[in-house]
Amino acid sequence: MPAVGSAVLVGMADIQVIKGSGQLSCLGLGSCIGLCGLDPIANVAGMVHVMLPQAFQNKGEAKPGKFADTGVPALIAEMLKAGADRGRLRFAMAGGAQVFKFSANTESKLDIGARNAQAVQEVIRSLGLRIIAHDTGGSVGRTVSFTTETGIYTVKTVTSGETTLCNLRA
Amino acid sequence: MASDLTLGLMELSAVREMTNIGLGHATTALSQMTGKAFNMSVPDVESVALEQIPDLLGGGEARATGIYMPIEGDVSGHIAFLMNWESTLSLWRMLLGDAPWDPSQITEMEASALLEIGNIVNASFLNALSEMTGLSMHATPPYLAIEMSGAILDAIVVEACYSEHYALSIRTSITDYEGSMEGFFLYIPSVGGLRTIFKTLGIAEAA
Repeated sequence: MPAVGSAVLVGMADIQVIKGSGQLSCLGLGSCIGLCGLDPIANVAGMVHVMLPQAFQNKGEAKPGKFADTGVPALIAEMLKAGADRGRLRFAMAGGAQVFKFSANTESKLDIGARNAQAVQEVIRSLGLRIIAHDTGGSVGRTVSFTTETGIYTVKTVTSGETTLCNLRA
Repeated sequence: MASDLTLGLMELSAVREMTNIGLGHATTALSQMTGKAFNMSVPDVESVALEQIPDLLGGGEARATGIYMPIEGDVSGHIAFLMNWESTLSLWRMLLGDAPWDPSQITEMEASALLEIGNIVNASFLNALSEMTGLSMHATPPYLAIEMSGAILDAIVVEACYSEHYALSIRTSITDYEGSMEGFFLYIPSVGGLRTIFKTLGIAEAA
């Protein structure tokens, strides 16, 4: 059952869907992505906290939210189950940073963040859907928050505080 | 199953003892470099799903420093040393006599001082473990992040979950006696690596 009228924290690899008013947040995203979807008419919102681009081939994985390729479709399925209409869905995402920006090792880069952002973008596109706004990459950690009533998706960083990325109701 | 980790009392206490000694070495290395005495807590050893680590460690939004190294060898895994921003400033003052005013103004010198500290501290830990078990554990070059503490843990967990989704998290905090600096270690040995350790030590894994 979707949660109603509450503030919900979306932990790593989690998918959370709320119907009606409420708030969804991912705290301290590094290379992970916080993808948020909204159906503004049905008032169904959902968020997934993606950790990696693709599910492993040879391992069973209990949490589909962990990967972009399984997490995005699972988020959409959960939202539809809660009464959302596929054609009205709109998305925003943030995260996918490379927080370990200093290294003595110039060859290897921990660039999984960029690949995560790209993977989420590709899955959304392949499903014929669209990400309205995104704030990804760079080296900053982000806390993201979405409020269903206002439709506002905010991004908070340690240097610039909280800023509005977009309004999914606009 | 392959990815699950059920540890009995025997295994847990072996790990705690081993890491306690390893961390003792690491703390000594840090004392030698900074000229300060540090107090180290007994390691908390927990068998957790990787995804729980940021919550367990209170991954917050405050600025912190993380020095992270992947480990290769017989016992692969991940090791990190983390501290809050105030402690980072103290550490810089101890090492360089000065600290940057603004985190965006960190010089190469200041970054490499932290990388070097992480390198030495983490390597002393691994050397001690290697000596005790006779197994190889090599730290690869360190990475440094100065960011939201939650985001640093998030990035480490993501690196770890490439190969594992369940692990042992070993945390210890260290503080100096003046209270100007505190930090903690996070050690995530691979499940396969842990099995190798137990086999070498002659401890049968709990069924």
